This record gives sequence, structure tokens and C-alpha cells, in this order.
Amino acid sequence: MYFNRLLYIKFRINLSNSNGFVMQSSTFKKLITGLTFLFLISFSLSAQQGNPENGKKLFNANCAACHKLDKKFVGPPLERISEKRDNAWLHAWIKDNAALRASGDKDAIDIFNEYNKIPMTPYPQLSEQDINDIIAYTDDKPTEALAAATSQASDPKVAIGKKLFQTHCVACHKLDKKLIGPPLQGVSEKRSKEWLHSWIKDNAALRASGDQDAIDIFNEYNGIPMTPYPQLSEDDIDAIIAYTTVGDIKPVEAATTVAAIEVAIPKSSNKWISYALALVILILAVWIFVQSNNGFLKIVVTIFILLLGTYILFDSLMDIGIDQGYQPIQPIAFSHTIHAGDNKIDCEYCHSSARNSKTSGIPSVNVCMNCHKSITEYNGPVKSESEKAFYDTEIQKIYDAIGWDTEKLAYKENYEQIPIQWTRIHNLPDFVYYNHSQHVNVAGLECQECHGPVEEMDEVYQYSPLTMNWCLDCHMDTEVDLKGNEYYAKIHDELAKKYGLEKVTIAGLGGKECGKCHY
Amino acid sequence: MASNKKYWKSVEELKENSSIVEKLKQKEFVEEIPTDKFLGDKDTLDSSSTSRRDFLKYVGFSTAVASLAACEGPVTKSIPYVIKPDDITTGVAEYFATTIANGIDFANVLVKVREGRPIKIEPNKESINGSTNARVLASVLSLYDNNRLKGPKAKGETISWNKFDTEVVAKLNELKKNGEKIVFLTGTCASPSTSSLVNKFSEQYGNVEHVVYDAISESAVLDAMKEMYGKRALPDYDFAKAEVIVSVGADFLGDWQGGGFSAGYAKGRVPKNGKMSQHIQFESNMSLTGANADKRVMIKPSQQVNALIKLYQAIVSGVATREMSPLNTAIQDIAKQIKAAGGNAVVVTGIQDKNAQLLALQINKAIQSKVIDVANTRNIRHGDDAKVAQLVADMEAGKIGAIITHNTNPSYTLPNAKEFTEALKKTKLSLSFAMSENETTNASQYVAAIPHYLESWNDVLIKNGHYSLTQPTINKLFDTRQFQESLLKWLGSNETYYDYIKGLWNNNILGGKSWNQALHDGTFSVKVSNEEIISTSVDINAAGSALSKIKGSDLELTVYTKAGIGDGQQANNPWLQELPDPITRTSWDNYLLVSRIDAERLGLENRTVDNGALNGDMVNITANGVTIENVPVYIQPGQAPGSVALALGYGQKGLQEEMSIGFNAFPFANGIFQNASIEKVSGEHEFACVQLQHTMMGREGDITKETTLADFVSKPKDEWNSPPKFSLDHQEVTQDKVDLWEKFDDLGTRFNLSIDLATCTGCAACVIACHAENNVPVVGKHEIRVSRDMHWMRIDRYYSSDMTVEKGKEEGIFGSGDFFEAQTHPSDAPEVLFQPVMCQHCNHAPCETVCPVAATSHGLQGQNQMAYNRCVGTRYCANNCPYRVRRFNWFKYFDNNDFDFNMNNDLGKMVLNPDVVVRSRGVMEKCSMCIQMTQLTILNAKKEGRPVADGEFQTACSNACPTNAIVFGDVNDQTSKVAQLEKGDRSFKLLDFIGTKPNVFYQLKVKNTKEA
Repeated sequence: MYFNRLLYIKFRINLSNSNGFVMQSSTFKKLITGLTFLFLISFSLSAQQGNPENGKKLFNANCAACHKLDKKFVGPPLERISEKRDNAWLHAWIKDNAALRASGDKDAIDIFNEYNKIPMTPYPQLSEQDINDIIAYTDDKPTEALAAATSQASDPKVAIGKKLFQTHCVACHKLDKKLIGPPLQGVSEKRSKEWLHSWIKDNAALRASGDQDAIDIFNEYNGIPMTPYPQLSEDDIDAIIAYTTVGDIKPVEAATTVAAIEVAIPKSSNKWISYALALVILILAVWIFVQSNNGFLKIVVTIFILLLGTYILFDSLMDIGIDQGYQPIQPIAFSHTIHAGDNKIDCEYCHSSARNSKTSGIPSVNVCMNCHKSITEYNGPVKSESEKAFYDTEIQKIYDAIGWDTEKLAYKENYEQIPIQWTRIHNLPDFVYYNHSQHVNVAGLECQECHGPVEEMDEVYQYSPLTMNWCLDCHMDTEVDLKGNEYYAKIHDELAKKYGLEKVTIAGLGGKECGKCHY
Repeated sequence: MASNKKYWKSVEELKENSSIVEKLKQKEFVEEIPTDKFLGDKDTLDSSSTSRRDFLKYVGFSTAVASLAACEGPVTKSIPYVIKPDDITTGVAEYFATTIANGIDFANVLVKVREGRPIKIEPNKESINGSTNARVLASVLSLYDNNRLKGPKAKGETISWNKFDTEVVAKLNELKKNGEKIVFLTGTCASPSTSSLVNKFSEQYGNVEHVVYDAISESAVLDAMKEMYGKRALPDYDFAKAEVIVSVGADFLGDWQGGGFSAGYAKGRVPKNGKMSQHIQFESNMSLTGANADKRVMIKPSQQVNALIKLYQAIVSGVATREMSPLNTAIQDIAKQIKAAGGNAVVVTGIQDKNAQLLALQINKAIQSKVIDVANTRNIRHGDDAKVAQLVADMEAGKIGAIITHNTNPSYTLPNAKEFTEALKKTKLSLSFAMSENETTNASQYVAAIPHYLESWNDVLIKNGHYSLTQPTINKLFDTRQFQESLLKWLGSNETYYDYIKGLWNNNILGGKSWNQALHDGTFSVKVSNEEIISTSVDINAAGSALSKIKGSDLELTVYTKAGIGDGQQANNPWLQELPDPITRTSWDNYLLVSRIDAERLGLENRTVDNGALNGDMVNITANGVTIENVPVYIQPGQAPGSVALALGYGQKGLQEEMSIGFNAFPFANGIFQNASIEKVSGEHEFACVQLQHTMMGREGDITKETTLADFVSKPKDEWNSPPKFSLDHQEVTQDKVDLWEKFDDLGTRFNLSIDLATCTGCAACVIACHAENNVPVVGKHEIRVSRDMHWMRIDRYYSSDMTVEKGKEEGIFGSGDFFEAQTHPSDAPEVLFQPVMCQHCNHAPCETVCPVAATSHGLQGQNQMAYNRCVGTRYCANNCPYRVRRFNWFKYFDNNDFDFNMNNDLGKMVLNPDVVVRSRGVMEKCSMCIQMTQLTILNAKKEGRPVADGEFQTACSNACPTNAIVFGDVNDQTSKVAQLEKGDRSFKLLDFIGTKPNVFYQLKVKNTKEA
């Protein structure tokens, strides 16, 4: 969750000059990773939500080839594994056990050795929820969240009511706040049941009958008539009223842990091994120079060290200007995890020009307002009240930019709008022409293929190196789907006729030529 | 080669053993590397105490600092819209149809807009007035002119519009009360809504007159039309219908009668079924039209009058003058041709005299010419010289209460500008609507800042029945207000001009059709009832005898307009200043054009200096009671002896320093010609002339090809367009037998560009289009002079002549009279050929093989690609290019005060095309065949899942060409136009014998030299 990132940011601000641009050296990353990891472990264990049903499916699909619940198989038995290992460890192990071992975790190394050093397949594709589900299945017990959910659902009427409310009412009503219509929490305390029934079924008729309450509320909300719902049965309406009376049970404490992205970072440890190796070699070399009398050996060692030095220097120089991992602090703590991950908003809903244009487009504030007119506060899972407050202030920043009055639910008149100055993350040089629509629309690439797991990024970072090498690797390997697009019909025929080729790479069609991207 | 013609670009090349020409042929870069420019001047360097050690220290330090600095990248901000307009997709260009109508240029155009800023003008090809010239295409840069007025002014002080209105309305009411005359002095507006507004204004303010004044006046023909057809409007001409075109001093491919005739003209210039039009031009100075003529007769302006009379007599009266002079013989021959062609012939004249125009109209009437259309007239010139003269007289007499000028700068363009400016002081109210400060605004009490046409609403009636709309394509950049908005305000109306136009159109023009559709199209045509042309009989004889009284003089001075600068209203536009004149190939100047004979008589010289640049002597010119001092002289081949000419539009006040050049020729713009006297003064002028630069391969012949219609029709192709032959094992073989290289795969798309030399008029619209599309920098006069111009395409102008002294003697014309004597010098009466040259995109490119870093390489689609970021600037490629089309960035041309043009200020940078990189110092650049445009076309086709249709692929130049001489397309698509052209008989490749296999090819020129 974003809150965690905030702590992370604070570290960064302390440790670097706060000009917004932070080159993340490997040391630094390592340090942070460690800190975050500790932090996470201390935080985590409290509660996991897991769905054993789903867990069973996932277990059968992914684990059953090597694991049984009750017996050793290729790997150890997994029944009640959560009693042996803590949750964060399990997450880290399942996602990338090699990295965990490499990081020197003793448990991990032991279990690896115990099972004949057969490495387990890593499952980076499993989401946090998926892993929780699997753990729930191995535990064979529903976790707290489910319990909470059931407690809420204990009155089936409330559950039905919630569903109906979300189908029919949410467009104009909220439980606790004004929207287009009045807030509905506890409405049954204000109005009689009969009144509510007749209002919901046909409020115009009720107003016409001269009911003062009906006329008053109508006038209070600017004379916007409410859609009548004659199709709702008496039971339906009762269910809705029941729901508005009970309201939502806020899952304040039922937060998921953030065994998040940081866990995946140890991949840089390979580099550290090589540095350690280099150090060892260096010590060895010094030892040779000091101790040995063998002149030939000394010359060989000198040449070796020179070559190694050149290699390391060249390697580090080649990294200049590559901003992979660049993660600037943005003016608004916009979390892609909440939007694209939790709420599963399609990337192109906000970045709509990716399909049509060279730029993917940073959404303008009016696009935010499509949802945030009604979503004025953060109601997702939180770990503390302060986190909710933090997100609420971030939402307020959009309103400040566009001039939205949260009280009157209207745009302020003559408001001088303040554009939001985002810090650009993916920054190609001017001499490169890149077109999103070519890749998204024609080639059908998923955004994640270049931008990484954005739906898991609270704060977006540059996932790919964006070097020419990186571009060309893809252009040379990817085959163009010549079928199904009339544009390629001619070249396909020609290729088939002349060379009997059915498949051709992007580079084969000229995607490696300088002039195609540099003009 | 069809003939044994000798081609040359500069007179210098005609001299034997010119070391300069030799040097220019051999060296791509005549100038050494300008180290002093970036290292400081030589003296400081010599006196510097920096030792070698210090130098190394500095180098070491700066390298270390640079490496450290490179570790931290800059922070870039991305700022999206707060509320994005629905129709904008960032990164995708939108096109709007609009109309330019600035008093000299009238055209329907499409405006390319990116993220709300116009970046390019393109012709609106779906309209009949959609042909654009260089000035129209460059007008987008004038929008971003830093010199523009940023708000209204009163007596030199900036004031608010409210105050401005209060003061002006108070004055107007006072004038109304006293019944004093209010005069609108405007350029031609041709706007129905504006006219209606002015009428409303006169209803409210009583004594109001609207005087129309054109700086480039066509008053003569308007008066003649009025007299003969009762209609003060310009006749229209469709030169596509003409078999014989005779022009007496009419530069109809230039600005004659508003221009826009080149598309029709070009249609008749390609032989079809063995037929093409024949074009005979009588003129004094070499115009674009004369350069394209099949036969060009150079005579002084006074002789032109004479020639027109003789033509009239021969054609209409049937009296052949029996004078034994070569000129008369030529005229009688031409008269016979015209009579034979009958209605398919046309006679046009540019003599600014009503009687001369009457004669020409009468000739066309007598032969019942189908080319001229006097019913559907054009409205793009309306100025009345007599009324203007009367106005100035009235002003001097104090009869005028107020002068409101709009779209005109009389204090600069009037021949009697001084009197006008003085008389302006006698009016109670002088108010000038202008885009930037000029001579008139300086003399006016009030200056109302008006927006550029790309920020305005308007309507235009270019030709009867064809209405056009002007719509804004960007929000107003400054605190400006349209002339019409001001009128509405002063009329006390709250209506906007947009509403006014819309109302007027809905009521009077659209006839129930959709306004939105008309706005989308930019044009709306109504059927004009072919009203009977009332032709009154005119006393032509009186006109003739009045004409015959015009006496010539020893030295006759005429003024003319250049393709770039025109009347000078866009003189602050660096693209236009840098555009080389099609004929003289000189930019950043105006100069006195003088014939060789007169130059020798007066001891005037042009010298080509060591680096290939041109210097000229200077003279003082006296004519019309005015003396202009220190005017440079340019010796122009083809200039009629006894005549000189000076271009209009230069020497304006208030422009940016770099653009404040040349001499104001408007004091001479009075009548047909001026009797001038010139005297040589000391001093030498430095021209920025590119004619000797980029001499190809050191070849003298065989660069360009042309033939005659007779040969084209009757002789086999090999005789007039022979492919190169090579000797292999003592056998003559064709090129493919001796090719060292392997052929490229003919798969997919291969782009080819065809350039038709027969229809290329040399107008240079393509050069400006290329500038706009490809962010080509402006380099300024000095850089042009030292061969460092950056134009990606140039239009080579070749002179040719098959007349030698020997041939002249042989034919017995050598020494026989002034006129033919001139022809014994090959440079005196040359023929002209234009040849646009850009990167030829060779399949076997010499530049690619020599690049040490592979920065230039060949693409599958035929383009020779240039990766700027890979280039290290060795310039080997340019040295190895036989076509001399590569341009080196000697300097950083943006954000550099040494090049204070549009790329040096934020406003001017708004014109840059965001899809094309701005090149930095030290890299080579060249034509890319507009790869950004072809890539976009392909991408759109891929997105829509369809093949690309023929005609969809365009380059900036092919799109801009008003005559469709440049055709672009996929040559592997056998049905495409360019593939057909490539196989055509006239097709040839530039320097084909060197085996570079270019993807650009040419269609040779055919001249119709048939005699009667």
C-alpha cells in the first residue's frame, strides 16, 4: 500500500538530496530492501484474508505436481505450513525462492538442501491474494476477512440489500454523504417505512399527492426528480432499507500486508556476488604480488586485473543515462495499486490516447473527475486512520486543481484552474520517435510488457531500461502477425511466394532500420 | 541530349578556366571550418597565455565535470490539460479548413494543428482556389512573429480596449455631428460580411467612404473591365484550355492579377497526343513566367506597349505592319498563330494601363477566347488608384475627418507615401488596424492590434459563386481584436463577428444548407446564374492612339514582386527572406536587375569571389523624382537592354534588424515604367547568392534534360532521352549489365518521387513546405553567402543557349541590330530550366559507403536514412555525394543569439513540428523523404487494417506543389501514378550514368518551339 511507500520515500528524502531525482544505487536499494523487509515482517502477521476455495484451485493448478498436503513428495508436505513459517517468508519463497536463498535466509537454504537441492519453480505471477488463498487452503480454515464478510452477510437481507443498492442507487446516493441525492445511512430512522416504499416506487406520485416531506426533499436537491423504481418488490425495498440501516462493515483492521514489490528486488544480489568475487580476486592478486616470486604469474595477474577493471569501468559507464528504476516523487500520491490493481480500472480508461496517438497521455483532471465526483474519500483497506486521511488529502488535490466544490457538488465558477505538474518518468530523447498506438493498437502489446506490473506499483517507476538495445531485442525476436490485417496482405503474399516464408520478425519488415525511429 | 545546348547556372561558368568554378566543382565545403567563430577571434587566441599544460588541465577538468554532470538527468515535467477539449488527442494532428485573404494572397488552405497550435499550412485540394504559393505556406510563421503588436495603442502608449473604444467612439460621434468624412482605407477584403458591416457603419455614422487600395495594384484591368463589361472585377483565366498563350509583360505564374493560374497552365504543358500549349512571353525582366515560356522575347516596357498595339492591329484590325524589324516579324508570326488557334488562344498583358488592358480584352473578345472568363469574375483585387489619389488630395485639402486603415500600409506602399503621411496629420482621427507596427501605424494616432488570420473569423468571396470561410485555429496569442469586431463594437452591437457571419450566411448565402458543413469544408459554392455579359462598345481606337503616344526612354525602370517577399507584408518572416529567388537564386536582398549590355556601358560588374559568393557594384537610381542610393546591381541574363528592375517589399521600417534589408521600390511603382537614370557609386555589395553553390559532380552537361515537342513526337525516345550506355567487352550495354552492386529486394513498399520538369514552374512553394515540415533552420545572410545554407531541397535554375557567336554569324544575325545582337552572347537571352534537387535516395548511395559510423543507411522502403544521433560529423558523406544535397549543421541554430530567427524565441518555436527532431550542431542532415509522413500513413493503414491507397503517401513538397509536378508514391504498386510515371518515356534519373540508382526521378521538359 501507498502508506508503506511513504516511509520509503521518507528514507529517500533523508538519504538523498531532495531534488526529486534519485539515482538508486544498488547499495541504497539493498539497504532499503532490508529495512522494508524488517518493517514488513514486524507489521505483517496480523491477518490474512484467504479464500480456501480459490486456494484449492490454485494449489491443484500450480503446486500439486510437487507437493501433497499430508506427505512428502518432490517437495515437503504443506498441511498447516503457516504454523511452521511466517507469512512473509512464504510469500517471498513462493514468488522467488532462489532470491530468498541468495539473500542468505537460513530456513530457505536448509529446506533446499533437505530436498536434494531441487529448486522449486518460482511463481512471480501469483498475486498476494493468490498466495493467501493457497495458504488458506493448506490451513484449511477460513481467515478473518472471510469471517468478517460472513458476519456482515449473516443477515441475508443486508447482503441482498447491498447488491440492490449498488445496482440501483449508487449512481446518485451514498451512505454517508450527499451526492446527487441525500445520504441514505439510517434513512429509516428519519422516514417511515411506508413513506420510503411509496417514494421509491413512484416519488412523483407521492409529491403530487401533496406530501410535504416529499416536496421538501425534492426542493432541497434542486428539483432533480429521482428515477422511480416500480419494478422493485416490497422485499427488495425492505432489503435496501435494511442495508442502509446496517451500513458497511469497515474492514479497518483487516488490512492485507504488503509483502509487496520490495520482496522481488533482491535480484540485484547477483551483481553483489560478482563484486564480492572481484574483491576476493583482488585480495588474491595482492597476496600474489606480496608473496609470490613467480614473475610470469604476476604479469598474468596484472593483465587480468586490467581487463577486469576495464570491464567494470565500461559496464558502469554504460549505465549512465539509463534511468531504469527511476521513481520520482509525484505531486499527487496517485496509487496505481488502488486504481489499476484493487479497482481493476483498465489502463486505457485514463491513458486513452495510447490507442490512437504517439503519447499514452497523462489523463487530464476532468478524466479523474469522472469517478472522483462521487468518490470523495478513500475507503479501501487501510492499516491506520492516518493512511485514510492521507489519501483523502491527495484526492482533495484534484479538486484544488479543477475547482470542485465538495460541499455544493459543483464546479466553482471563475476558478483559476491549476494544472498538475507531474514528473515525467519515461523520458525518451528527442531524437527517438516512439508511437504508443503502433505498439498498443497494431502490435497488441499489453502495457505491462514495457511498463511492468503497474497495477502493483503504488508509485510508478521505470521498469524497463528503455535503451535501444532493449527496443531492438524485441524487434528482432517478435514475429509480426501477418494474417488478420489487410495491410500486410501484399507483403505476406510476396514473402510467401518468393521465400516460402510464413513468419517474419519486425526487424525483417524494416523494424531495425535507423530511420524508422530516428527522424 | 536532344540538343547541343550548353547549360550553366552562373555567368561565371561561361568564362574559360575560372578557378572559382573549378574549386566549387571539386570542393563540397569551400569554406574552412569556422574555428574562429566558436573559439573566439584570432587576436585573442594569439595573445592568450594559455599554455599546453593549462589546456590539458582544462580538458581534463571539463571531461570530469561533464561525466559527473551526466550522472544526474534533468527532471522533466509533464503537464496535462486540466480539462482536455474533446476533439484533441495529444500527439495527433488535426486539420482545419480555412482561408487566407491578406490583400495579396487569397487561397483555401488546410491548417495542421498540433495540441492547439498551427504548425503547417497545406493547400485545400478540394476547393477551386486551393493552390498555395510560398508566401501562403510561410504565413504560419508570421503568426508566431515576435514583432507583432501585443495590444492597442494610442499615441504610442499601450491602452486598454475599453479606453480605446471610448475615445474612438467619442471622436467618431464628434465627426458625425460635424458631418465630417470618415474614410476606410483598406486592402482588398473580398469579404461579404465585412462589406455589409462597413455599410452598416456608414448608415450609423453618415458621411463614410470605403476606399480600397492594393499595394500591388490591378487598377488598370479593373477599370478596363468596368468600361468594357460594366463590372469592376478581375476576369478569370483557365490556361488549361489554351493552345497558344501570348503574354505581354504578364507574370501570370507569379502575382499577376492575384496569381493562382499555375495549376491550369501546367495542365497544358505536358504533351498529350502530341499536343501541348505554346507559350510566348514578351517581357523586360526575367520573370518566373518568362522563364517557363517556350519563346521569350525580351523587350523594354515601352516596346511591350508597341508590341501589344501591333498584335491588336494584326489580329483584330487585320493590318499587318510592314516594318522590317525582327521584333515585328516575330509579332506578325505570333499573330498568325493566334488567329489559327482562334478561341483556343489567349492574350494577356501586365501593362499597368487601362488602354493596354482594353486592347488585350478586345483581342480576346475578337478571337472569342475560351480561356478568358469575364462572367465568373474574381474579386481578389479591388483597389482603385484614382480614388486613392483623390483621397490623398482631399486629405491634403483638409476635407477628411478620419482615416481608418486596415490591411494596408499606405505610408510605405504608396508612391507618394510622404504626402500621405503628411496629410494624415491633417485628419482629426487617424486609426490604423495592423498586426505589427509599420510606417502607417507610426503616423497614426490610434493603433488597433489585429489578430493573424489563423486567429480570426472571416468570409471571403474569392471568385463569384465560391464562398470561403476563415476560422481561428488557435486562441488569440495577444490582446488583439479583429477589425470587424471593432466595427461591431462601435456600432453598439454585442454580437460577435462569428455570429454576424453565421447570420449573414444563413440568410443570404447558404440557402438552407448546413453552416457546419460549409465551415468544415472551408468553402461553399453556389450556382451562379450565367448572367448575360453586357459588353459595351468601347472606343478602342482612342485607347490605341493614347497608348501609341507613350514614349520610351534610354533606361526604363519597372518594379516587380518576388515569389518570397511579394508586397512585403510578411517581410519579417525569416523563411521568406531566406528563400532564394527562383530566378536570381539570391536571398536576403533586393537589387537592381541590369542587362549585360547596360552594365558594360555603365561599367558595372558582378564578381564571383574566391569562395563562390557574389559581389556587385552599387548605383544611385533616380526616377519619379526620387533618388535611392547605394543600390546593388545584379546583372541578370535575359534582362532587356535599356531596362532595369527593382523588387518591391523591401526596405521596411520597424522590422527585426536581420530583416530590415534592401530598398523600398514603391516610390517607383507608378505607371507602366519610370524613366530612370543610374550612376555608379563606389563600394561593393555582398550578395547571398546560392547559384554557384552545390555544383554537381563537376559536370557541365548531362545534368538536366529537355527536348522539343517536334522531336518528342517524331523521333524515337533514344534520341532525346537516351539511357546511359556502357562498354563491356567492347559491346555497348545498358546499366544493369555493369552494376557492381546487388539489387535490392523489390518487396513491400518502395517510395519513389517523380518531378516533372515540364510542369515545375520554379515557384519554390515546395521549399517552404519542406522548411515547415522538417524544422529546417534559418541560417541568415552571412551563412547563405558562405555556402552553408540548410535548405533540404533547392531549385536549381539552369540557363541554356544554343546560340554561339559562330552560329549567330552563320545565320546572319550577328551584329544586325540591338535586339539580336544581344543573342550573340549566350548569357544575354538564355532559356531557363528549373530542376528541384533534394536527396535522391540512391539505392546504391555513395554517402552510405563512406560513413565511418554507419549513421546513414539504406531502408527497405528506398529511403536513404540519416540517424542524427549517430552522426559524428566527419562530413565524408557530403563530400562523396554527387548531388550535393547534404547539409551540415555548422552551428547550433536554436537558442543562439547569433541566429536570432524563429528558433531563438519561445513564440517562434511554436511552429516546430513535434514529430521531427531539431538537429544540433555538428551533424549532417538532409531530405528524409518525409519519413515521418509516410510512417504515419502506414500506421494509420495498419490501425484500420487496410492497404494504403495510391495518393495517400505524400511528402511535404509533393503535397504543396501547385502544379502537381511532384508525385510521390509506392513504385512497387504497379497501379500507382508514380509507377506509371517511372515507366514513362520522359522519365530519367539525375546523373544516371554514375550508377547510383536514385529513388527520385525526373520527367524531362518538352518545349513547344513550333513556329507558325
